[in-house]
Amino acid sequence: MTPKIVCENISKFFIQKGKQRVHVLEDISLEVMNNEFLVILGPGQSGKSTLLRIIAGLETPTQGRVLKDGKEITGPGQDRGLVFQSYMLFFWRTVMGNVEIGLKLRGVEKKERRKIAQHYINLVGLEGFEKHFPHQLSGGMKQRVGIARAYANNPEIMLLDEPFGQLDAQTRMFMEKETERIWQTEKKTVIFVTNNIDEAIYLGDRIVTLKGKLPGRMDAIYDVPLPRPREHTDLEFVELRQMITDKSELVL
Amino acid sequence: MSNTIADEIVHHVKERQPLTIWSVLGNEYFLYCVSFISFLLIWHFIAAAGLLGLATPEATIKEMIRLMSVKLAGKNLFGHIWASSRRILIGFAIGAATGLPLGLFMALNRYVNAIVKPVFDLFKPMPPIAWISISILWFGIGEPSKVFIIVIGSFVPCVLNAYAGIRIIDPELYDVIRVLGGNRRQEIFYVSFPAALPALFAGIQISMSVAWTCVLAAELVSSRSGLGWIIIRGMKLTKPELVLGGMAVIAIVAWIFSAATSGIEKLLCPWKRGIKEL
Amino acid sequence: MPYEEVKVKQPIIFKILAILSLLTFFGVWEFIVDAGIVPSTMLAAPSKVAILFVKKLTQANPDGATLGAHAWMSAKEAVTAYVLAIIVGVPLGLFMGWFKVVRGLARPIFEMIRPIPPIAWIPLCIFWFGIGIWGKVYIIWIAGIVPFTINSWVGVNMTDPALIQMARTYGATDWQIFTKICIPSALPMIFGALQISLAYCWTNLVGAELLAADKGLGFLIEMGRRLAMPEMVVLGMVCVGIGGALIGIVVDVLERRLLAGIRR
Ligand SMILES: Nc1ncnc2c1ncn2[C@@H]1O[C@H](COP(=O)(O)OP(=O)(O)O)[C@@H](O)[C@H]1O
Ligand SMILES: [Mg+2]
Repeated sequence: MTPKIVCENISKFFIQKGKQRVHVLEDISLEVMNNEFLVILGPGQSGKSTLLRIIAGLETPTQGRVLKDGKEITGPGQDRGLVFQSYMLFFWRTVMGNVEIGLKLRGVEKKERRKIAQHYINLVGLEGFEKHFPHQLSGGMKQRVGIARAYANNPEIMLLDEPFGQLDAQTRMFMEKETERIWQTEKKTVIFVTNNIDEAIYLGDRIVTLKGKLPGRMDAIYDVPLPRPREHTDLEFVELRQMITDKSELVL
Repeated sequence: MSNTIADEIVHHVKERQPLTIWSVLGNEYFLYCVSFISFLLIWHFIAAAGLLGLATPEATIKEMIRLMSVKLAGKNLFGHIWASSRRILIGFAIGAATGLPLGLFMALNRYVNAIVKPVFDLFKPMPPIAWISISILWFGIGEPSKVFIIVIGSFVPCVLNAYAGIRIIDPELYDVIRVLGGNRRQEIFYVSFPAALPALFAGIQISMSVAWTCVLAAELVSSRSGLGWIIIRGMKLTKPELVLGGMAVIAIVAWIFSAATSGIEKLLCPWKRGIKEL
Repeated sequence: MPYEEVKVKQPIIFKILAILSLLTFFGVWEFIVDAGIVPSTMLAAPSKVAILFVKKLTQANPDGATLGAHAWMSAKEAVTAYVLAIIVGVPLGLFMGWFKVVRGLARPIFEMIRPIPPIAWIPLCIFWFGIGIWGKVYIIWIAGIVPFTINSWVGVNMTDPALIQMARTYGATDWQIFTKICIPSALPMIFGALQISLAYCWTNLVGAELLAADKGLGFLIEMGRRLAMPEMVVLGMVCVGIGGALIGIVVDVLERRLLAGIRR
């Protein structure tokens, strides 16, 4: 089986303030299989967002390239959906308006796009909130809209950038369960970025860890062979958690 | 008895207090009434004592009611209100119709910005009232010169706010459209415009208040109609009730204009209805 | 090391465009007047304005004062009114924010007077003060006080309730809370009013001087019109623009210093 996404020796430099060159990513190579749930785990400031944005096509790598189904990615496209760390909802649109925007951009007729959007609103559990505006929703609900918006556009690959980073611990665990449920309902290739080990082990088929401090480098790759749904208190869960903690400088 | 906001902020869930004389005296609305009535009373006594050259509130109101039916220079009070309002509406419409698009273009296109901004910056610090004299040189003392000043006065805030409105948009919002497969045109229509709308309205509000200052200045300098003219007329005839009445009517009409703008904003920006702002 | 200094070439095209744009502006302006496309009774060429500028530096005629005297007059009025606006507006706003009674009593009057454009006071001012400096100061003061009052009031109201609660638990009195917590936390808001108020002041200064003055930059503009000397009108406008920009820069520096002061 050929991998869905291949990153070949990606390096990225940014120019900041017009005079300072920052090395953000160094020599990242990874493969993501079809319908795989891959988690990228790394501390803050290790270039995780940048890597995801490169795969999304929002940034171009300075060196290396990204292939999707064997073809090089040159820009953003409908085949890859991105869920943003800080939600990035359109505050001037209702929940329905936010979820249907991707379909609207592609000129899907109104009745059709309402139907599709409604399906995904129901899928993420926001039924009854269609007419609410983002500022009327809690953090967890906002990110549900973000997920529904990406899903409604029917991408082949979902990219999630620390989607629950701003939520409190309890909501976060709940949203992780929900994410798993949604992924089980509509299987897609998922690349999920996080800085939280528990989240990574709970969700991932495989975990790629990045080394902290710029530039971000690949550290190790772990398989997570645990059956789903997983329990944070399972022995194997705890053991794997211990192993990753020991090997990386990540604490917690 | 709480007499500072410290209690209001800290004990905002305090249980209802019994109705005592103190709670009535400290009630905000009661104080508003006290303030309003004492304002009128003080005004009345100062005027009745012949101080400061004021007319009493009664005389002022009576004069305004009289003007509703009696014509002054061919127009009753509503005619004069309309004369000023019409200048504002025309001037403002032209100023906004040119200023808002220019500001948007400057923010969206670096070339337009590089060409227009230096010249615009030359004019920006110049108060619109400073244009009155040259406007009279150019257009004479008729309607066009007054409208021109209002155009200038509303143009600048419209450009500035449209420009700022686009510039403060989080660039990641554009990325949303891009990852969903949208193009540059769609970025502008689905993100730039709606996200900048509140800032446009802020510009419109400022323009409105500048426009009132401008129309008054223009009417004070030279005119035969309008609320500014009523004030000047009152001064020339030493009829203080006309001056004060004119000021009161201006306050009311200007307030209505600004309330109407807020109303339209609420209509066009439904998402702002729930957000409480000061 | 992830960070490294590099030289990046900025596209020079934008700078060239900006310079070209300014040159074209002044060029066209000069040309349309010199070539007689716009009659010289309506607009003066930049060169003529510059000549008049040099002349007016020393000469009082034909409007009765040198340029320096006009500018000094305007600056004096503006600064006096501005300072008075701070002295009255800030405490008023602070008290309105803190004391319910002050707010209840002052707010209706404030809201009634606020929508009246300040220059509508001119006839009353002429009657009260004549056309001397104080009438104009009054009008500019009315214009300048509004932002200070509103921002101080809002600033006090936005004080973090947690801070007040903390002070309460340490047994602070209301007055201590007001002076030690509410006022300092309102300061950034109040500094924010410095620029806004200044712009209002400057606009209304010109209005007041156009209508009731015998000296000042606004008066210079109006005299230019009466004497049918467009170069004087333009000179006045240019000076008003430069003056406004200069005071704006001074206030901006001041604001930054003050803000840096309270951060420390
Ligand atoms: N568009 C950009 N321009 C300049 N620097 C950037 C840009 N995007 C990211 N960076 C820099 O890259 C570094 C890593 O950022 P990021 O990818 O967000 O890391 P993480 O998501 O792991 O916290 C940051 O220090 C940031 O300053
Ligand atoms: Mg990040």
